Amino acid sequence: MILKSEKQTRAWARKFASGLKGGEVLCLVGDLGSGKTAFTKGLAQGLGVKQIITSPTFVLMKVYEGNLNLVHIDAYRLSSGEDLKAIGASDYFSDPNYVTVIEWADKVKDVWPKKRIMIWFEVKGKNQREIIIKQIGK
Amino acid sequence: MKILAIETSCDETSAALLESSRGKIKIVSSIVSSQINIHKNFGGVVPEVAARCHSENILPVLQECLKKTKPKEVDLIAVTAGPGLITSLIVGVEAAKALSFAWKKPLMAVNHMYGHMAANFLEKVQFPAVCLIVSGGHTEIIFLKNYLQFVKVGQTVDDAAGEAFDKVAKLLNLGYPGGPIVSKMASAGNPRFSLPRPMLKEDNFNFSFSGLKTAVLYQAQKLDLKKEKNVVDMCASFEEAAVEVLTVKTIKAARKLKAKTVMMAGGVAANRKLREILKKETEKTGRKFLVPEFSLCTDNAAMIAIAASFLKKKSDWKKIQADPNWELK
Repeated sequence: MILKSEKQTRAWARKFASGLKGGEVLCLVGDLGSGKTAFTKGLAQGLGVKQIITSPTFVLMKVYEGNLNLVHIDAYRLSSGEDLKAIGASDYFSDPNYVTVIEWADKVKDVWPKKRIMIWFEVKGKNQREIIIKQIGK
Repeated sequence: MKILAIETSCDETSAALLESSRGKIKIVSSIVSSQINIHKNFGGVVPEVAARCHSENILPVLQECLKKTKPKEVDLIAVTAGPGLITSLIVGVEAAKALSFAWKKPLMAVNHMYGHMAANFLEKVQFPAVCLIVSGGHTEIIFLKNYLQFVKVGQTVDDAAGEAFDKVAKLLNLGYPGGPIVSKMASAGNPRFSLPRPMLKEDNFNFSFSGLKTAVLYQAQKLDLKKEKNVVDMCASFEEAAVEVLTVKTIKAARKLKAKTVMMAGGVAANRKLREILKKETEKTGRKFLVPEFSLCTDNAAMIAIAASFLKKKSDWKKIQADPNWELK
């Protein structure tokens, strides 16, 4: 799918959120500025999160209350998933009250649950982004 | 009254002892053991490693802090309970609980961000005031009616300012932590690159640093980074943009909210350029400017002890828990 602006990415993520039931883990993969954060912000809105979503890079994980709660993880500066386990991130992975988003998920392949939704982001032009989604496991 | 404070929210293990009598506050001792040299190799704080270091350091740090003080002289134990890394917070919180239990002393949970602000309370503050809190994990503007009543009026909508410094340092291959290095490089540079000032003109007190970092990335890709001139000039350009946005928004908040004082707190408050410009611009508007000395800007337990001397809410050790998401409202 091709999205033509940050606004479109957010709107699409909002709609995507309405199809989630809880317990999903979304693995986001893509370069700096490819739309992962815009996606997460839209998703949060769609989940009914009222707070502003800010970067979790420093603390690695932030948890927000919504109609479905959002766990926002940033693996940008990690090289393995051990640290995510240490801060208890994996406890949320199949919890039906939470939707988990892992940005830079390719850096922590060792904590990927068998059942997950992979989302790849690619820069196709100044504002244009290609997004590919794949449901893994049943 | 003597307050013992413990702070382990990120990568500094710290304990401090404060004495207050008739409204006068004195820091008796303040010990900070930093893990920065360990985390440098990883480009950021590693939770598991930080937790282990805190566990190893906490008792020696406490022992050093209490060298000249007997447990029975301590009236209150204060501890940072959040926000921060859960694996780090928990070491300080559990140590404080153990001391509270063993010494039969009251315990107080202190918010780390309130602690940063409180580092300014060593001087008498004229209220109302606004405080810019800038660190690796936070960038926000707080409006204070008095020492205990405050509200968040603005914040970053994406990255914290300190994080932007770290990321810029990383993409210019300068190492970690980014703040001091970028700042040092910037002082030798010429801000000749044109970078955006995100959200500068918007009618709110919010910030955005993600776009600024991306702009640095795109411009840096076109530069020969082996030439030191390019690197120092990019650092200068970035620092100028970040400092301008932080200053303009803070002054705007101070005017709109009729603050008498402008304060600054947090690790990035140690940035010399930011201290200099925000002070100058604040004083131009006839307001008072406060900023803690350098050692009280980065994480430390002394600020937690100062905070505790203003706060009222003591608690039983059984009721206190580390809360990594404890945000100021």
